[in-house]
Amino acid sequence: MRFLIHRYNPETDKKPRMQEYTLADINAGDMLLDALFQIKEEDDSLSFRRSCGEGVCGSDAMNINGRNGLACITPLNSLKEPIEVRPLPGLPIVRDLVVDMRPFYHQYRSVKPWLTVHDPEPETEYLQTPEQRDQLDGLYECILCGACSTACPSFWWNPDKFRGPAALLQSWRFLADSRDQATAERLEELEGAYRLFRCHSIMNCMDVCPKGLNPTKAIGNIKKMMLKHLV
Amino acid sequence: MSWRASSGLRSWLLQRLTALYIVVFLAVFAFVWGGQTITFESWRAWVAHPAANIALLLFVFALLMHAWIGGRDVVIDYVKSASTRYVLLIVFALGLGIMGLWTLRILLLAGTG
Repeated sequence: MRFLIHRYNPETDKKPRMQEYTLADINAGDMLLDALFQIKEEDDSLSFRRSCGEGVCGSDAMNINGRNGLACITPLNSLKEPIEVRPLPGLPIVRDLVVDMRPFYHQYRSVKPWLTVHDPEPETEYLQTPEQRDQLDGLYECILCGACSTACPSFWWNPDKFRGPAALLQSWRFLADSRDQATAERLEELEGAYRLFRCHSIMNCMDVCPKGLNPTKAIGNIKKMMLKHLV
Repeated sequence: MSWRASSGLRSWLLQRLTALYIVVFLAVFAFVWGGQTITFESWRAWVAHPAANIALLLFVFALLMHAWIGGRDVVIDYVKSASTRYVLLIVFALGLGIMGLWTLRILLLAGTG
């Protein structure tokens, strides 16, 4: 099985290159992450991030044959050879397949992804009806792998100003939460030409999301909510 | 949130409202003129009618506004340098403005002469 892997070490290389590897003894039913481990055994200079290895932690998001995904849940037999593996697009490259996620986390932090309550805290837990809880399905499951935001051209062009699909999905997760009381502030914060409205609904985000979530729909919901607050 | 403070939402909403008007106008236009050959006289008589005149004027302005928002979006997306951005937007705005004024002149004079 043939692989073309993005290699770049800023300390020694002038520019990135694609290095070819061939694995003779690999089970086609294995995941791409297994192959990367095997390549690393041959060439321990290869760097990539991974942790849980089963699509829960979101560490090993990368660009696989031109498409963002998690290496640990991408079966090799679903990929055309040579399998081209590159770092997530649009973020600074630290080394090989490792990117600097700071622009991504900065945008995530900016939407204040926590529950804000102005009333005095209740003595027991916050209560929600099952229907209110249902509103959070498809939102809370995000693992922050960054596949969506780095598949979004609007995020590529304005990563410092546009929140990006992952952060906006989380923004909607708290706007949709019946317990949250910062709706007006959250909407106010997303105003302007950049933070929310750079989204042109091209749906790359929902296309690549390894958890099957739909940030485009969440962004549409935020716009609808803004409209309701306006009238 | 006030209308004035909501620049992002405002453009987004206007983009959709103008699109709606453009589609409705084109549908009505196709219905009225479908199958007919448009001659200079028949077109002139139609444009001279106040309802058609106003509808056409609104159409052109909806189209120009739609183009402005869309064009501005493209510039914001792809043009990084602020000075290039200003130059492009000014040229674009001037072009659209001139087309608007020209249309206004044509339509205001349509009933006369």
